[in-house]
Amino acid sequence: MPDGPTPIVEGEAPGVDDCTVLHVDMDAFFAAVEVLDDPSLEGRAVIVGGTGNRGVVAACTYEARAYGIHSAMPIVVARRRCPQAVFLSGRYGRYSEMSERFHGVLRAFTPIIEPIALDEAFLDVAGSRRLFGSPPAIAGAVRDQVRADLGLHCAVGVARSKLLAKLASRAAKPVASLEGTRQGAGVVVVLPAEELPFLHRLPVGALWGVGPATGAQLDRIGVVTIGDLAAVPPDTLVRRLGTAHGLQLAALARGEDPRPVEADREARSVGHEETFAVDLHVQVDLHQHLVRMADAVSARLHEADLAGRTITVKVRYGDLSLITRSHTVATPLDASHAIGLVAGALLEAVDVAPGVRLLGVSLSGLVPAGTVARQLSFDEVGTGTEDRPRRGAWDGVEASVAAIRARYGQSAVGPATLVGPAGLTVKRRGDTQWGPRAEPVPDLSGPSDQHEGKA
Amino acid sequence: MKFRCERDTLVDALTTASRAVSSRGSASAALSGVRVEAEGNRLTVVGTDLDLTVRVEIEAIGLDDGACVAPARLAADIVRSLEPGAVTFDSGDDELEISAARSRFVVRTYAVEDFPVLPEPRPDQVAIPAASLAEALRQVVRAASNDDARPLLTGVLVAGEGDGIRLVATDSYRLALRDLAGKSPLPEGTEQILVPARALTELQRLLPGAKDDSDATVGFSVGDLDATFAAAGVHLTTRLLDGKFPDYRQLIPPGYPNQLRVGKEALLDALRRVRLLVRDNTTPVRLSMRPGGVELTVVSQEVGHASEDVDADYEGEELTVAFNPSYLIDGVEAVLGDEVVLETVDATKPSTVRAPDHDDYRYLLMPVRVS
Repeated sequence: MPDGPTPIVEGEAPGVDDCTVLHVDMDAFFAAVEVLDDPSLEGRAVIVGGTGNRGVVAACTYEARAYGIHSAMPIVVARRRCPQAVFLSGRYGRYSEMSERFHGVLRAFTPIIEPIALDEAFLDVAGSRRLFGSPPAIAGAVRDQVRADLGLHCAVGVARSKLLAKLASRAAKPVASLEGTRQGAGVVVVLPAEELPFLHRLPVGALWGVGPATGAQLDRIGVVTIGDLAAVPPDTLVRRLGTAHGLQLAALARGEDPRPVEADREARSVGHEETFAVDLHVQVDLHQHLVRMADAVSARLHEADLAGRTITVKVRYGDLSLITRSHTVATPLDASHAIGLVAGALLEAVDVAPGVRLLGVSLSGLVPAGTVARQLSFDEVGTGTEDRPRRGAWDGVEASVAAIRARYGQSAVGPATLVGPAGLTVKRRGDTQWGPRAEPVPDLSGPSDQHEGKA
Repeated sequence: MKFRCERDTLVDALTTASRAVSSRGSASAALSGVRVEAEGNRLTVVGTDLDLTVRVEIEAIGLDDGACVAPARLAADIVRSLEPGAVTFDSGDDELEISAARSRFVVRTYAVEDFPVLPEPRPDQVAIPAASLAEALRQVVRAASNDDARPLLTGVLVAGEGDGIRLVATDSYRLALRDLAGKSPLPEGTEQILVPARALTELQRLLPGAKDDSDATVGFSVGDLDATFAAAGVHLTTRLLDGKFPDYRQLIPPGYPNQLRVGKEALLDALRRVRLLVRDNTTPVRLSMRPGGVELTVVSQEVGHASEDVDADYEGEELTVAFNPSYLIDGVEAVLGDEVVLETVDATKPSTVRAPDHDDYRYLLMPVRVS
């Protein structure tokens, strides 16, 4: 049992009815699905995330975690730590099928669900208490139902805020060690009176917004636990971390997280990104990938009937440093060609010589495409201008491409740039996508990217 | 260097020269300064960002020849804040003392060697009447693009046309074209130049003073890479844009089947009123034209809607065309006279705004397509 709060609260613990936020998180989801489908893997270290030496760990069983392996760790490191592990490249179609069932279970308990990932969601059960009982009882029921329907385990955190519910679900997880996996509590409730003692014991890195850089900053002033952080005057944090970040951390350290569980959040951006097998150093190579991503982003905008005004290109170098460049246009775009032009110009201005590990394209500032009144341009009449070819012609092309794809599939037709020796390459499995109707795929490029989409 | 000068004269000179100084950081710190040079009783103040250079010459009481590079903004702010009367500048090695009455400021200066060496302005090649130039710039510069992604469109085309010259600017959504009678100021062998709109905006600021005097002229000269305008003791030199301006002639429809003739102020007032409901730059104003009048409508999803009827003469088929209201206002405002003509083909082809009787000014505008 992890030391800390009571695992299950029986009866009328003070304030338990206020703990209406549930965080439900599948245990080692992808890896657990693999074990479920192939019982011979039971009890073995299983690592999902690629069979080569490139890329990162998307998920691993608790047997693998005993070797210090965790998600987002480079595969090559994992292989060094645990060479006997089973490495799988992942079957994303199967995971999304299981994910669909997982979210289906959750929907039976409350309509207010904020999906965070394939295997993770926040629930607000304030309106479900009459039907299903106290929040801890609901948490237990969710867990049993997931087990019954999927044959998989999950952990549930119950608290008054998303911050504490998430930390509580982490505390409810199994703990791996070389002696064997110790089962977790499964459900952990953080009662109002227990919030600060629970929170202050945890390492500061557990807080949302504390990555390696901030962690190092805080370490320098002797802050190791969240309790240490709560003792630092907010002024000091503001001076070290800037106003917004400093005040936010100070509030989180006091257990203050006012963010509600938001059901049906509208996508704020639609994007694609991809980690390459080897770092790319040449604009031409990157440009080809960029065109493919712009094409895929456009296809999804069409599906969701959206258009966006801000085009962002994201570049992560081999040393993992990240830059983004964006441009906002007057009229929202949804056409592959137009997105590619803007994204291409943005990429053009980026120094790629150091070697690019990950490239991404996204559109934000989304509006429903149907309502867009489009300012026409002279580029669409006459023969076009020297710096920009005639654009109107592309409208017809885009419409035809959409029609062909609707009938014959995404890879039936595409930009000539994408034709290589192996034929036409369109959207690639394993690309990270976000936004409406994204095929849910894990973020393979590390936790720092999550703010782009829905976090 | 040491000189004495009337406060207001000096403030004008410092402020004018500072207009060329980039407010953003630049390669050399000295570029955030203005070069102040005294030679006898002639005082020269120069500011530059290397693309645009403004050089102001004024009279002062020279006490000691020399030069310094003073922080542009600060020096102007200090002098402006002083009591009216004479101001004295006295520069040492790396300091400048600014004093007047009982005030005394000492500010650090930049090294004169760090300030770019700029050529003396070329002598004027031609003189352009200031009043008509000011009018033409007011009509045309507004249509230039400020999107650095399309550098060519941030320029204004100056080209010989028939017996006169033509100014053209476009941001790809609208295009303003103005013909000026008179001899082309472009030197032999130069057919057209592309002048950054920013330089012409600054030139406009210099011109109102000259406009009061109907005989005033603006000196003009063109080099291979730059052009210089001279007016009222100020030389404004700008780098020319390099590249081929879009072929605008092909954009002008050969004829218009529909013509709306309407009072300029009445249309402007109505446009400005209905524009109050526009919340983002994608909300258009719809013009429904019919014999006898035009109805303007703005429908703003979140805010509400507005409509207004304006009397007008209309020849053609009943037609509704939508425009960006600000772009339309820009064009209508620029027309001289009491009436404007709006010519249209259909809801997706370029329209033209001009004066009823002459077409030396034309403003082409692309509609907004509404679904």
